[in-house]
Amino acid sequence: MERLRYFIQRTLFSMRQSPLLCSATIGTVAIALMLLAFFTLIVFNVQNLTREWSRDIQVIVYLDQVPSENKLQLWTEEIMQYPDVERVHYVTQQQAFERFHERLGQNADLLEGLLPEILPAALEISLAESARSREGTERLIGLLKSNKDFHDFRYGQEWLDRYDASIFLLRLTGTMAGGFLIFATLFIISNTIKLTIYARRDELEIMGLIGATPMFIKAPFMAEGACQGIIGACLALGGCHLLYYFFLKKGLAALLTTAAAQNIHFLPLAYQGGIIALGLLLGFIGSLLPLRKFVRI
Amino acid sequence: MIQLFNIGKIYQNGAPALHDINLKIPSGDFVYITGSSGAGKSTLLRLLYCAQKPSRGQILMGGRNTTRLNSRNIALLRRDIGFIFQDFKLLNARTVFENVALPLQVKAASHREISTRVYQVLQYVGLEYKLQRKPLELSGGEQQRVAIARALVVNPRLLMADEPTGNLDHELAVEIMQMFTRINESGTTVIVATHDKEMLQRFPRRTIMLHDGNIISDSAPPPTDSNTESL
Repeated sequence: MERLRYFIQRTLFSMRQSPLLCSATIGTVAIALMLLAFFTLIVFNVQNLTREWSRDIQVIVYLDQVPSENKLQLWTEEIMQYPDVERVHYVTQQQAFERFHERLGQNADLLEGLLPEILPAALEISLAESARSREGTERLIGLLKSNKDFHDFRYGQEWLDRYDASIFLLRLTGTMAGGFLIFATLFIISNTIKLTIYARRDELEIMGLIGATPMFIKAPFMAEGACQGIIGACLALGGCHLLYYFFLKKGLAALLTTAAAQNIHFLPLAYQGGIIALGLLLGFIGSLLPLRKFVRI
Repeated sequence: MIQLFNIGKIYQNGAPALHDINLKIPSGDFVYITGSSGAGKSTLLRLLYCAQKPSRGQILMGGRNTTRLNSRNIALLRRDIGFIFQDFKLLNARTVFENVALPLQVKAASHREISTRVYQVLQYVGLEYKLQRKPLELSGGEQQRVAIARALVVNPRLLMADEPTGNLDHELAVEIMQMFTRINESGTTVIVATHDKEMLQRFPRRTIMLHDGNIISDSAPPPTDSNTESL
């Protein structure tokens, strides 16, 4: 208990004792993590956007004949049993004709005199989010082909290829840039903390000489690093929120449609918790690495 | 009892500091280690304090071979030793009280015990009225006494001092040596590294003389007046 009280007192006292060093560390953590948080925010919103796009990925099965209600019920149940199927929607000939009419817009008069029966009825099958790709679509078509009544499929191959390519590019860029940012953040934070520990190396030496164990010497420094990491991460989230509000929410709203601007969101709570936990971890590891070098009994 | 067997120390740059040192220091003894600059006095103390490891040989302290201790056990051993450094090694950002309390905090002593013991020991060295001062606000002699108080606060079984009077004026040096004598009389083993010949004459004790890393003499104090100072 006495030891815990000593550690807490030392941690708070050290932060008060060298406000300049402490502020420099917190500032570095805040700026580095703000970059990371803002990058995460952009990736998060781009992912949301692609998720919206992916809702358009569906397999349409054109039917030669209008099915009876029983048959339709049977097919729907059969298809819903396949993995990766989210929803099955039956489009009647009348509904198909109305959609076509709507799409033609001003040229809708071309359809005058024609009956809805010129268009086939269809089953629109939406895929689960995890299967919204060329692979997932082809896997589903493979399963649908086992039913001899289904032979005419449409799934927008070209669009799907472009979608797959852009998702791959986004993921690659996100992973590379994210990895680089995390590494750079750890490097910057570790070096800043190293400088603060170097400035207090006499204290580390004296503690060792009067009989402190390595853990006793390190613990307040690691706790201090973790506290600075948490404070820096909170400041980073605050700064990131300002960037989000002024650049994304207000700035982009002027350029995009209202609906598109409304789809831009700040990081959810779980992500914010992740950034704070990352700050804690970086502060902790950033302290631990130089301490291993400076604390020698 | 401290025993050194065939101790040798060669620094990483190849410079030899100690050669084949064999030594026995019984508990409760008062020993001077003397010699000119570079003779190996400080190196010998650093080896006894486990701040460095010998290049060869063994050191036994209270029956334990200190050359084989890991860092945790070295730390635990140091809690029973008081060391007064030549440059005091005080934490300038902390108060006198906090500096002296440090060894007790390391031992996880209670708040009450720390307050009582630190006040007692500061009273002993005559600095109880300066406990809220920072070391840089004190004179050299006062800083030396803070360093002594920090070494004494844990009631050490062994007290070592490296050139404790080197930076002090004559009167203060006498005062510090009188303090060491009193500490030794209470049963603590005292080892003092010094080249201050006047103090050696004024406070005669067993004296080990080093030269170029070798012991060239190990003399007992003269048998007169039972080793007390002659003022």
